[in-house]
Amino acid sequence: MRQLRLACTVLVLVTPVCLVTACRLDQQESSTSKSSGAISLLDASGVQHILPRPAGRLLSLVPSATETLRAMGAASTLVGRTDYDTGTWIAELPSVGGGLGPNLEAIVSLQPDLVVRFAGGQDQATPSRLDELGIPHISVRPDQIEDIYTTAKLLGRATGYEAAADSLVQAIRSNLERVASLTAKLPRQRVAYVLGGSPPWVSGPGTYIHEVITLVGGENVFGDLGPLYSAVSFEEILNREIDVVLIPNEAAADPFLSQDARIEVFGPELEMPGPDVVETASRVAELLHGIELP
Amino acid sequence: MNRWTLGTGLTVVLAAAILAGIRFGSVPISNADFFAVLMGEGDLVDRNIVMELRLPRVLLGILVGGGLAVAGATFQALLRNPLAEPYILGISGGASVGAVLVLALGWTIAGSWILPIAAFAGALVAITLVFRIATTTGRAMDVRVLLLAGVVVAAFFSACIALIFSISSAQTVQSTVLWIMGSLAAANWQSVALTATYTLPATLLLMRLARPLNLMAIGEETAHYLGADVEGVKRASLGIAALITASGVAVAGVIGFVGLVVPHTIRLLVGSDHRALLPLSFVAGATLLTLADIAARLILSPTEIPIGVITAFVGVPLFLTLLRRNLSTP
Repeated sequence: MRQLRLACTVLVLVTPVCLVTACRLDQQESSTSKSSGAISLLDASGVQHILPRPAGRLLSLVPSATETLRAMGAASTLVGRTDYDTGTWIAELPSVGGGLGPNLEAIVSLQPDLVVRFAGGQDQATPSRLDELGIPHISVRPDQIEDIYTTAKLLGRATGYEAAADSLVQAIRSNLERVASLTAKLPRQRVAYVLGGSPPWVSGPGTYIHEVITLVGGENVFGDLGPLYSAVSFEEILNREIDVVLIPNEAAADPFLSQDARIEVFGPELEMPGPDVVETASRVAELLHGIELP
Repeated sequence: MNRWTLGTGLTVVLAAAILAGIRFGSVPISNADFFAVLMGEGDLVDRNIVMELRLPRVLLGILVGGGLAVAGATFQALLRNPLAEPYILGISGGASVGAVLVLALGWTIAGSWILPIAAFAGALVAITLVFRIATTTGRAMDVRVLLLAGVVVAAFFSACIALIFSISSAQTVQSTVLWIMGSLAAANWQSVALTATYTLPATLLLMRLARPLNLMAIGEETAHYLGADVEGVKRASLGIAALITASGVAVAGVIGFVGLVVPHTIRLLVGSDHRALLPLSFVAGATLLTLADIAARLILSPTEIPIGVITAFVGVPLFLTLLRRNLSTP
């Protein structure tokens, strides 16, 4: 038995050492030398990347970034798509599965020279596997209106479409300002965005939904909640004075939501920040105020 | 069935499964290119796909599947409970809490080992807790108390997870649910090396304990009268089996059914002599998980199905068929 106990102890002790060694190896790999005369990028995770030349074979795992590339005329640089890129313009390209936890084999076979991925730690494995396979990757954050600009500029630099990215950002900015000024003088509408569920999930502050609603002369009645999304009781919904309840689809409708409020099925666009923000914002404005924007 | 026949048969199937596992994937590779890669040639894309993605994944499947099956066989012998499986002592719950905490606190850095280490640590906490509860009742470890402690600790951990879920973002919930479902997709050479360090020596140690395990499966009292060191065997083998499970959970998440169904199936086929049961369970578990992973990769390619779904879909009907046949022959 003593031998066994010893063996167990050795087992428990050996592995952390292996792990530490593995970590060291990782660090060495990531601090590879820089080359000169190349493009330097700072991505949404705050990581500095050096590309030897503009990326010409891009794989975007982030649908919003994919749409941004198309909007700035760089669709020809894309070599693949995810299952969530459903536009007909991109249907011809091979899919690599989901944007989180994509199929690595499919990625390797497409031979991209740059992969665009989600920032944050939802998908632990993909970034490190891409590192090991020697495939460069940058992260973007598709959460708020400002992120659309940041993503466009980052992708513009990465692909050599800087001018196109700048004019896209300019166009979106000025169009959003136009929508905002057209709705500025109208009476503010009290709005709740209900994602569905029971108890219902609503959008709090810090979301794209909140930003767009605020921009077009609405007031998010749940703007006082904690950041992002929260589950609230039906009581709380009835307690707040709401003019308009926006829901993404019929499934989110509930008789309890509609005491005095008008319920509008909006579609999923408000949950997907992207270069179509002007169109989305205009639709929200028209719905809230019952007007037709020029 | 003769144990040697079954052993040879399973080994042949496993060898075929390994070959199929590195030959087929979501990306088609021609025979010529495949053999070029095996010869150490071929172009970089094919080599990366076969040697860096498929091979480590197949090897990790063998280690995790084999390890879970051996751990399951051990738990079933010691706890003398047919429902015993590798996660019965709350190991999956502990590992999940470790992983969920790290994900919810945003401590994860891409490519770091924080997540598997946290999962492993959580599993160790669960094991320690359950063992402590089981030994405080007296000097000897009571397996009934151990089982109850496992169930209670697991329930406590799932409450912890529910609490963390309710106060964390949808993204965290999504990534955690994906993790809990279990997958071999994150396999790389490091995780293969890590799991091998635990699983292989631990399996060999358990095989050395096969004779005392045979006695223990009959009953602790009988084992004691027949000269087995009951407490020593019990603690050592439970500890080793728990470690195998913990290392598997840390790298591949919670993969169900392998540890429950495989040992039972082998027991139905060759009887419950652990000298045969343990090695055959390892090979069978390895084969099942390797085949299940091929299916997980190919059925909805390029999207992957959680491997636990496949092991359940394949394992359960197979097991039920065997069980029926076994019950109908007097």
